[in-house]
Formats: sequence, structure tokens, C-alpha cells
Amino acid sequence: MITSFVLRALNGRITITIAILLAVAALVPALNILVPPGNPFHIPTYAVSLMGKYLCYALLALALDLVWGYCGILSLGHGAFFALGGYAMGMYLMRQIGPRGVYGDPILPDFMVFLNWKELPWFWYGFDMFPFAMLMVLLVPGLLAFVFGWFAFRSRVNGVYLSIITQAMTYALMLAFFRNDMGFGGNNGLTDYKEILGFSVQAQGTRAVLFAASAVMLALCLLLASAIVNSKFGKVLVGVRDAESRVRFLGFRVENIKLFTFVVSAMMAGVAGALFVPQVGIINPGEFAPANSIEVVVWTAVGGRGTLMGPIIGAVLVNAGKSFFTGAFPEFWLFALGGLFIAVTLFLPKGIVGTVEKYWQARKATRKASETSRGGDVLTAQPQAAE
Amino acid sequence: MTEETNAPRSLLYLDGVSVSFDGFKALNSLSLVIEPGELRAIIGPNGAGKTTMMDVITGKTRPDTGTVLFEDTIDLTKRDEADIAQLGIGRKFQKPTVFESHTVWDNLELALNRPRGVYSTLFYRLSGEDKDRIEEILATIRLSHRKDELAANLSHGQKQWLEIGMLLAQEPKLLLVDEPVAGMTDAETAETAVLLREIARTRSVVVVEHDMGFIRDLGVKVTCLAEGSVLAEGSIDFVSSDPKVIENYLGR
Amino acid sequence: MIRFLSSLILLLTLAVSGHAQGGADPRPLIDALGKANFKQAEELLGQIAATGDARVAPALEAFAAGDLYARKSDGAVFIAKPAGKNFKLIDPLSGEEVEEAGKGAVAKIKINNNLRRVIRSTLGGLTLLSPDRATRLRAAEAVMRSPSAENLELIEAALEKESDGAVKARMEQARAVSLLASDRGVEEKRAAIDTIRSLGGRPAIAILMTAAPAVDPALKEDLNHAIRQLESNLAAWDVAQNVWYGLSLGSVLLLAAIGLAITFGVMGIINMAHGEMVMIGAYSTFVVQQLIRTNAPQLFDWSLLIAVPVAFLVTGIVGLVIERGVIRFLYGRPLETLLATWGISLILQQSVRSIFGPTNQEVGNPSWMSGSFPLGGMTVTWNRMWIILFSISIFLALLALMKKSSFGLQMRAVTQNRRMASSMGIRTPWVDALTFALGSGIAGIAGVALSQIDNVSPNLGQAYIIDSFMVVVFGGVGNLWGTLVGALSLGVLNKFLEPSVGAVLGKILVLVLIILFIQKRPRGLFALKGRAVEA
Repeated sequence: MITSFVLRALNGRITITIAILLAVAALVPALNILVPPGNPFHIPTYAVSLMGKYLCYALLALALDLVWGYCGILSLGHGAFFALGGYAMGMYLMRQIGPRGVYGDPILPDFMVFLNWKELPWFWYGFDMFPFAMLMVLLVPGLLAFVFGWFAFRSRVNGVYLSIITQAMTYALMLAFFRNDMGFGGNNGLTDYKEILGFSVQAQGTRAVLFAASAVMLALCLLLASAIVNSKFGKVLVGVRDAESRVRFLGFRVENIKLFTFVVSAMMAGVAGALFVPQVGIINPGEFAPANSIEVVVWTAVGGRGTLMGPIIGAVLVNAGKSFFTGAFPEFWLFALGGLFIAVTLFLPKGIVGTVEKYWQARKATRKASETSRGGDVLTAQPQAAE
Repeated sequence: MTEETNAPRSLLYLDGVSVSFDGFKALNSLSLVIEPGELRAIIGPNGAGKTTMMDVITGKTRPDTGTVLFEDTIDLTKRDEADIAQLGIGRKFQKPTVFESHTVWDNLELALNRPRGVYSTLFYRLSGEDKDRIEEILATIRLSHRKDELAANLSHGQKQWLEIGMLLAQEPKLLLVDEPVAGMTDAETAETAVLLREIARTRSVVVVEHDMGFIRDLGVKVTCLAEGSVLAEGSIDFVSSDPKVIENYLGR
Repeated sequence: MIRFLSSLILLLTLAVSGHAQGGADPRPLIDALGKANFKQAEELLGQIAATGDARVAPALEAFAAGDLYARKSDGAVFIAKPAGKNFKLIDPLSGEEVEEAGKGAVAKIKINNNLRRVIRSTLGGLTLLSPDRATRLRAAEAVMRSPSAENLELIEAALEKESDGAVKARMEQARAVSLLASDRGVEEKRAAIDTIRSLGGRPAIAILMTAAPAVDPALKEDLNHAIRQLESNLAAWDVAQNVWYGLSLGSVLLLAAIGLAITFGVMGIINMAHGEMVMIGAYSTFVVQQLIRTNAPQLFDWSLLIAVPVAFLVTGIVGLVIERGVIRFLYGRPLETLLATWGISLILQQSVRSIFGPTNQEVGNPSWMSGSFPLGGMTVTWNRMWIILFSISIFLALLALMKKSSFGLQMRAVTQNRRMASSMGIRTPWVDALTFALGSGIAGIAGVALSQIDNVSPNLGQAYIIDSFMVVVFGGVGNLWGTLVGALSLGVLNKFLEPSVGAVLGKILVLVLIILFIQKRPRGLFALKGRAVEA
């Protein structure tokens, strides 16, 4: 059963993408470590980390696409799940600092010593163990998504209302994490990491491995997403997006379908955050900012929502653009990003991948139509809201 | 207790159902009984409460007062839409509502009466039996030749049929059909009447329709609603000669 | 005895001080203090008082504080302020700095407690009978702050001559305070307690508390009763003050949300650039003020009134451009509208940042917006007061526009049934554009008011956008009254949570409560019920 579930996921394009991701996971670290600096094929370590960051963003965008592109839930709070995963990883990394902190306390992270705390708060227990921290990376965002979704989907809060309250959720979390007495480092967040699993986080090798881990994790999540989307469940999901009440009147429990997808998506976002933090070296409450979550939406929209490749392509393209712009013309980045939002919604509602797909389908259809009789107008095929 | 044994076994039983929205009485003590295997037509002017009645039966709207029973014992006012659909009540909307970005085949596959939980849908595999069933329905709704096309590309009438096909796949005991021939050509209308009678051989069907010609084609018992309650009930000739019906609905 | 005498002299001299103003020059008397012993100094003080010259007050205060020094070279007396190792010598009458002198060059004029008391009375007397009303009021307040029996006669004398009602009331209170400290009879003291109680608030409690240990046993009960009453009064006023703060915050929320109640509530457009409209309104105010400052400074007090129509027009036009340029292509696709308007908000923010710079801009308060006045036991600042009135009047104006004008009628017609409205000859696209422009314009007006209480920076709008949406959703979409009630109740709730849990946690709690509330009532407080809304 599981094998058929996975096999169904491996249609042509997904297999190719996963193969490419795995190749990248091997190739980029190799070019970084094995090829000496100065050689034109050498990839510097900072670039490896930068690309690793893009891959984490791609995973976050994929997670959002699962709920937005396939299920029609526009979450403006996915940055919160990302940040929670990141904080779980950050807490593990803080505990690994041990007595090497500025104050040299073997247990308490520096900021707690600074705040004059005497002992570790209960919610920091266990984070010295990697497996426990990784479990929390999944559980904490998953649990928040479950509780939030359980209430929201059961009372049928949907459309823009849901978007607005997810935004309020991440905003409230941001305010909370800014507080010092929350016990997560307040304003400064968690930083100054030393080691992960005993390897220095600064070392070239560690960074290369973290990059490879991001690429492999993205490949795995892509496989999972593809398996979900291509199952009957995935078809129901699209049904919920296009005609929710029809799905309901067919006897499906829409709230459970949404809840499952929301939780899976939140966990993916958490994983993305956890991989992100050791590569950038810091997690702070700014990650909860509502603007961040909305930016993820634009990556997904640019690449093409409702496609699996779209969010990955969109996240990498937009972020590469951001790196370029903020370096070259910092003044213009917000103009470019704002323009992108408008242009995509007005002229490219299906995103890059969706538009290309539509073009191919249209060509195929016209070819088929010219062979037989005249078919329906494919170009007007658009998902429509129920009722 | 004797009363219960003497009462005719009903599939759907509405008694004294009232619904009001902000003071406006959409349903006013409505009572209606549908027997197993019955095909019933419901007519009435706009605002008579036809759609609200369907909302109440399918769990979309909770009545303020009144009883709604399915198969004599199941209280529908306590259930939600998904529950009621699983009990065996299918509903066709006024505006054809199909999954436009799925193929005709996928639309029917989704509608098939199979376990609908998250787990079972994730690991569902199309069995030979299910395949045959879908082929069979495709033939019934005359869409076999377009099974791999997106539902969005169907004509209006074909969408109506696809939706009826989806309801068949659901294997309901009771089908509620809201204006199935609105916007159809005469040929399509006639064919739809045939289709509905065919369907009604194996289950109960309630049709809401404005098209009197179509109802005459169906040739079944007619209920006329007005202002949220039943005005008249009987054969089409009986109902259409009722002075109250003429005044309220047919007249003018 | 001496004290009595001196007081008598003082009174006598004070009695004529009104006429003696500008009489004898007090400078030789002050200089004489440098060589006087305590007894002579006391006499000199009497003579100084007799000049009736209010300019001597700083010198006397300095004397009491031990800051009065005589220059050794010529015996001239100065007020000395330490400046590093040296003293800064200040002329006792004019207050001008004369020179810096080494510590060795001056000698401190000695002072004792008896003299201090005399000085205090002298000062009190000088000022209590001053022809200047403000000086008398200040003097009465000074007596209240340092109650002593010696002041009693002074005050009573001044009271007799006082004709100004407000000053008289304050003096009565000062008299009561002094009386409690004196050895007068029980009945008089009881009356004094009543007078002090009428003063109200924490100062009255403080006065009574200090008087309590020394008071007659017979008065103990009266005193405690008065204190208890004052305390419960105070608690009530605290609640009132909290409600006031809450209403004030609520009116700010209302201002920010009311434009959104039109664009989101009535038209169903998710305008994420709404906050930026508020921001542009605030910047319009800034520009108007800059123009007035350079061209017509005398109009500065009118700047806000001028800014209101300017901001309305500017943001209204920006809104019109946005609607015609972007939003009209997105009707019926709310999530896309959300994204596009977010993009617009980024562009607007960056534009303002490029033009005006990223820092806060200084927007001035006109004189009628600054200051405060007491209202019972609470303090009301004028700017909050005006903002509450302003937001309520905008709300009422909008309500009238919606309900009474033909444009409002068309607007409601279009939102209820677009096709029908259009077939009745209403130009629906035009109504859409104007409605959106109206909502944006009102956001701009809100910006004028918010520029008075918040930092005017390109990020101004972002601070309000989430709150505004919360208010509209909480109040019930499509219902202006809902927005009003929503804004005010959220404001009050916030301010009542704040004292117990702190500002940030209070805000978080309110957000969580709203999220939970929306689960319970997805359509808000004043939701429309029925089939039409669910479709």
C-alpha cells in the first residue's frame, strides 16, 4: 500500500526533479570542498550557505503551496511555523554551547544568565538531546497548526477571514517572542551557536553537509507532497479548493481534510525553519513578522501555485533576485517586490510553471482538436468558486 | 406505539419545519413526506422556500422548530452535511457544481461511495469493480466519450449531467435535484426527464423545477410550495387547477 | 514671641504691599544680610518683606536653602551655584550671572531653622497677597505642600482680601491644611477635614495621612472616614480614567478602521494598503505644516484643519488610482486582491521612504491640541479629547453619507445587487471607484489625527493594519455600527488588561480573544444572518 502510494508520486517530472535535487546535494558540497579556491568551478562556502537558505525557503514555499495551491487555504501565518521549527533547532544549538558562552554557565544560555535566571525553564528541558529537538521541530508547529486548524476549520472560518486570523496569529506570536520573560532570548533571539552534533557550525564541512541535508529534505518533502497530491486525497483537496460545498455534500469531512493538510504543511514549514537556522546562525522574533509570511505567498504565486515545481522555482528565483537587488540597488528591492505582487496577480495568476503548463496543454489540445473535430475552448479552463 | 406500526414507512419525513432569517420566515411550518422509491416534483414561486427546504434536509441550515426524519428514525437536524451525505442523501445544486479542474473520470471517482476518511483516501487504489461502476455511470449520463477531459470544458447541460452522475456514484437513497433543466436546450431537457425517471427506478428523487413542460414530462406527484408551506399536493392536473396555485404561481 | 512679632510686622507690611510695590530698593537690605547675626537677619527679613517687591523671592529661597553668599571683597550678597570647583555668582534680584568666584572669595550667610520659618512666611505672605493671580495661586499651593501652623494667620488674612473664586477655594484648602497642623478647636478641625476631602485625590489622602498621627483622638474617626471615602472615590476615578484611556485607544482604532469598514466591510475588498493610506494622510499633514511654517506661520494653529481636506483629497486620489489601475481587475478574487494590495503597500512605503527619508518626521501640535485639564479625579489631555470627538464626528458624517445621500444609496445598491443596480442605470464601475476613494480618503483623514499621537514614519501604516482588520472583523463586516462598537470595546478591553498583564501581553491576549471569537461567530458581533450572506 505504502509502495503504491509512493510510486504514484513518481511521475516523470517529479522523478527528474528529485534526481536533480539529489545530484545538487552531492555536487555543490563537492565543488565547495574538493575543488580548490581559484578554480572557476569552486563554489565558496558563503555561496553554499546562501543556496542552502534558498532551499529552505523553497521547502517553506512548498509547504504553503500544499495548503494554498491545492486546498485553497491562504495562510498568512506560515512564517510562524517556520520560525517555531527554527526556534526548536535554535534551542538545541543553544544547549550545545554549554560552558563556552560568554558567562560560562554550563547549563543556562547566556541571555538567561544576563536576565539573572537561576534555573532552566521547564520548556527548555530535553533540548540538549538532538532527537528530542528534532521531534519538537515537527511537533510544535504541528500542534499549533492542529489546535488553530481544529477551531478554525470546524467553525468554517475560511477565505479571507482565515487569512486575516492566521496573520493575527503570527503577529501575536511575534509580540510574545519579543518579550524577554518568554524565555526565548527576547529581541535578540537565539544566536552564537557553536556546534551541531559535535561539529562546528562554522566549519566548511558542516556547512556543506547542512546544504546537502536541505537538498535531500526538500527532495523527500517533494516526494511526500507529490504522493499526497496524486492520491485520491489530493483530488479531494483540489475539490475543496474549487467547490467546497460539493465535497461536503459528497460526504467528505472537509474540516478533517483541511486539518490534515494544514498540519502536514506546518510540519514541513517547521523542518524548513530547523534547517534554516544553523545555516544563517540566528533565529529571532523578526521571523514571525507578518510581512515574512506574505512574502512566502508571493514566491509561491510567482512560481505557480497548485503545482509542485512552482513554489520551488519561485522561492529560488525571487530570493536570488532579492540577494541581487539588495546588493546592487537596495532602494529598489521593495519596488521590485511590490511590483512583482501586482504583476503576478494581474498578469500571471497561474505563475511561471502554471502558465507554461497551460501553454503546453493548449498546444496539445489544439493539435488533438485539429486531428478530430473541434474541442471545447481549453483556454477558458479556470477553477471556479462554488455556488 | 400502534400508531408507529400503522404509519406508512417514509424515507423522508418533514413536520412543522420553520426557519427564519432576521424575521423573514423562509419556511413556515412545512410538512412533507417522501416515500421510498418515489419521484416527486416541487414547484413554487421564487422565495417559496424550495432551496431552504433542501438546505434543511441536507444539514446546511438548522431549522428553528420542527422534525426532519430520514428512514423514520434518523433525526437529520442533529447531523451535518457530510453525515447526511453518507446516510444516503445526494444533492444537486441549482448552478451545476462540479470539480472543474478535474477530469470527468476523476469527478466520478471522487463521488464513488467508498470510505471517505483521510487515511483511506490517501491510500486508495482504483479497483476493477470501481472502474466498472464508473464506466457504467459514464454510459448512463452519456459522457463516456469525454471521460478524460476536464470538467471545465463540458457544455452547461453536460455539467448538469455530470453532477447527476456524481450523485449516482454516491449511491444515495434520496436524491434532491434543484432545477436540473435550467439553461438546457429542449432536446437536453427531454433527455434529462428520461434520465431522472431511469434513476427513480432504484431510489427516491425530489426535483425542484420551474419548467412546467418538464414536470408534465415526468408525470409524477407534484407539491406546490408558497411562502414556506405546502399550498397543494397531487397530480400535475390537480395542482395546476387549484385556484390558490393559479393565484400564487401559475396565474399572471 | 519673636516669631509672633515678626509675623505681625510681616502682616502689617504686607497689608500695604499692594501699594508699596516698587517702593524702597531691597538691594541694600539684602546686602546687609551678609553682616547680620540671626536676630538682625530676622529684622532685615521683615524690612525686605516690607518693600513688597516680589523680585526678592529667589534671594529668600536661596537664603533658606543656604545658597546665599557674601563676597568677601565688597560684602555684596549673591546667590551662588556651584560650578566645578568655583561658585557661579548670581545677582539676587535680576537673576543674572555676574561672575565665577573661587570658594575662598565668598562666605556663606548662616541660616537656622527659625530663620527658615520666617523666610517661608515672608515668602508666602509676599506671594499670597501679590496682585498677580497666578502668583497667589502658586503661593496657596506652596502652603498646601508644606503645612504648618505659622501659615495659618497669613492665609486667613489673605483669604479676607481674596476676591477671585478659584484662588479663594485653593486658599480655603491651604487654610484647612494649615489648620490641621495648628492647635485650634476640634470643631474647626472637623470642618477642615471636610474641606480637605473636597480637594479629593491622592494629595488629599497624603495630607490626611500626614496629619493622622498628631490628630485629636476625637477626630480620628472623622479622619479615617474621610480617607476611606477618598480612597473609594479614587478607585472609581481610576476605573473612569481607564475607561477614558480605553475610549481614547478605541477612537484611534476606530479612526484607523473606519476607512477599512468601507473598503472591506462594504465592498469586500481586502485592502492591505489601507495602513499606507493612513500613513500618506499623516505625511500630508507634515507637508501642510511645512508649507505653513515657511509661508504663513500665523496660520499654524489652523494647520490640522487645513490638512484634513488636503489629506482626504490626496489619499482619495491615490485610492482612485489604485482602484482603477489594479483592484477593478480583481473583483471576485479576494485573495488575489489581498496580494496585489500588499504589493501596493510595499511600493507606497518605499516611495515615501525615498522622498522623505526613513526617519520620523516632526509633526507639531497646534496650541489647542496640547496640554490637559483635570476632570474630577482624572486628567484629560486635549489631544486625546479632540481625537475622540474627531473620530466620532467622522463616524457620524460617514453614517449620514451612507444613509441619507444619493451616493450612499447607490453605494448600498451596488453592494447588495450589482446587476440590478446596473440595470437601473447606476454606473457601477464609477460607484466602485468612488467608494474605494472614499474609504481611502477617510483613512487619510485618520492619518491627520494619528500624526498627532504617533511617529510619522514610512512604517506608520503597518502598525495599524492588523488592528484595523481585527476591529472590522470583530465588529461584523458590512456594519458601520459594528465597527464603532468593536473599536471602542477592543480599546477599553485592552486598557483594562494592561495594568494586570502589561501592554504587550494585553495586546496578545486581545488578539487571541479575537481569534477565538471569530471561531465562535465567524461573521462578527453584528452579523447579518440569512442565505444571502452565506452564498
